Amino acid sequence: MLKITHFLKSKKTWFYILISLLLIALPFMVSEYITYVVVLTLFYAMIVSSYDLLLGYAGQLSFCQGAFYGIGAYASALFSIKAGFPVYLSIPLSVVITALVAAGVGYPALRLRGAYFAVTTFFLAHFVYLIFLNEVWLTNGPLGLRGIKPLEALGGIDFSSTTNYYYLVLVCFAASIYILYRTANSNLGKMFISVREDEDLAESFGINTSLYKLVAFVISALVAGIAGGLFAHFFRLLHPSTFTWLTSEMVVIMTLVGGIGTIFGPLIGASVVMFILEFLRFAPELRFVIWAVALIIILIYEPRGLVGLVERIRRVKR
Amino acid sequence: MILEVNGLTKHFGGVRAVDNLNLVINQGEIVGMIGPNGAGKTTTFNLITGILKPDSGTVKFKGENITNLKPFQIARRGIVRTFQIVKYFPNVTVFDHIYIGAIAKNGLRADRKTLEPMVNETLQFLHLKDKKNVLVKSLTIPFKKRVELATSLVLKPKLLLLDELMAGLNPAEIDEYLELLRKINRELGITMIVVEHVMKAVMRLCQRIIVLHFGRKIAEGPPEEVSRNPEVVRVYLGEGAKYA
Ligand SMILES: Nc1ncnc2c1ncn2[C@@H]1O[C@H](COP(=O)(O)OP(=O)(O)OP(=O)(O)O)[C@@H](O)[C@H]1O
Ligand SMILES: [Mg+2]
Repeated sequence: MLKITHFLKSKKTWFYILISLLLIALPFMVSEYITYVVVLTLFYAMIVSSYDLLLGYAGQLSFCQGAFYGIGAYASALFSIKAGFPVYLSIPLSVVITALVAAGVGYPALRLRGAYFAVTTFFLAHFVYLIFLNEVWLTNGPLGLRGIKPLEALGGIDFSSTTNYYYLVLVCFAASIYILYRTANSNLGKMFISVREDEDLAESFGINTSLYKLVAFVISALVAGIAGGLFAHFFRLLHPSTFTWLTSEMVVIMTLVGGIGTIFGPLIGASVVMFILEFLRFAPELRFVIWAVALIIILIYEPRGLVGLVERIRRVKR
Repeated sequence: MILEVNGLTKHFGGVRAVDNLNLVINQGEIVGMIGPNGAGKTTTFNLITGILKPDSGTVKFKGENITNLKPFQIARRGIVRTFQIVKYFPNVTVFDHIYIGAIAKNGLRADRKTLEPMVNETLQFLHLKDKKNVLVKSLTIPFKKRVELATSLVLKPKLLLLDELMAGLNPAEIDEYLELLRKINRELGITMIVVEHVMKAVMRLCQRIIVLHFGRKIAEGPPEEVSRNPEVVRVYLGEGAKYA
């Protein structure tokens, strides 16, 4: 009982309730176009906050979240197109594939420390992009993969409608954030932190650092794979250009902008970045210049990202 | 016999850091390891704990050959060490630092109800209670060393290797540590190898002392005997009165 009253009194609780209500009411308040952008933002939010588990908690810099997003998307699309699987099966299968690729690459690559691992993941991202682009027999190459089925209706809910799909994505998003948050604050999360803080010391305390790095890497890939699968059957057209190394770079930027090691910070980062990018659509060349400048400014003035900025504002107010 | 080292050798280029070293450590002992700078003490610790792989020789712990195991596997078997240049997790609180050790020891499934008392007990034992919620990076070096030691203890090691734990402490603090180490040895039943340059402390604490010089063992025995050994005297006088 005491817990519940405490829960209701906390400002944080009300903040989360407010955000949840806003997200639930969103399709009724804004145009379909905005809802559509929010769906895309939710995908990025999932990719970015799972990446935070790898970067912010386990301390491993990687540049291939975009590739895992792409593998999830292409694998699910192909399972449904080529094998005729229902989407309810093709998405889980694509997630398994994504996790297997992550494990297969991560196992040897994570034995390399620091920069070597990061460089390996960079090449992975490019390699995966080249497969999407050049293996025409499988991916239809630069023409893109068309005719991807929408998620089959379930219990009378038609998921080809943006609004209904939005709710589905919202549920998946909320579930993954919840699980990521719980993981980050569990014993497993503490093991990740020990790896980030000092790998040699962790090892000398009996912590199997290679294993935990791999686990963090696979979890981050897995969530990106889910987002990819959901994306494929929402957008229903896949093109290699969505999954270039720039996508992976953007994930890193969003995470840094939001503030690493918080799970929630990167969510803010993803939202801010996505909306800025949408508004800068009229000037595609300019987007990345503005980006780079914004990032440099943030890293100079508030290396902890937007979360750090919010904390600083709060402190000033007091 | 808890630890047995045979013919351990490690070269760095032309430097013989450890040269055909044989050691026997018995259960319950506090053994001192001394020697001038560069004698190979830290390298010996690195070889025992698997951080470095020896060029030749073996390390046996409780009868098992552990020479080719990874550092974390060796730690799990019960050999834990502290580092000469203190190592710590900077951005966690003292409590969480030790808590991480408790998870490492008891597994991911262990819940807070089981782990918290262990952490609190360790905090109490090392008089760190009032620093519980402080970030480790903001502590002074002696306190950082204390946190490193505390985390080592929560791992309940069988053999503890301490690399210059008392360097930089004042005489009163050294006295406190000597008492503490005896208590760890007696009450927790932990065998120890202690590397120290503070000669008086080693002499008072240890039943047996091993002297290294250029990677070789040049003397071994009870403190009084070793301090009268002519070769040891020569080595230390050669070094000047630095450690007198
Ligand atoms: N990683 C390394 N690479 C190259 N040489 C090394 C390395 N580690 C130690 N050495 C060399 O090996 C020798 C033994 O060094 P070690 O650190 O074991 O000595 P020590 O007895 O611990 O000395 P100190 O009392 O100064 O701590 C020294 O000559 C040192 O320069
Ligand atoms: Mg040393």
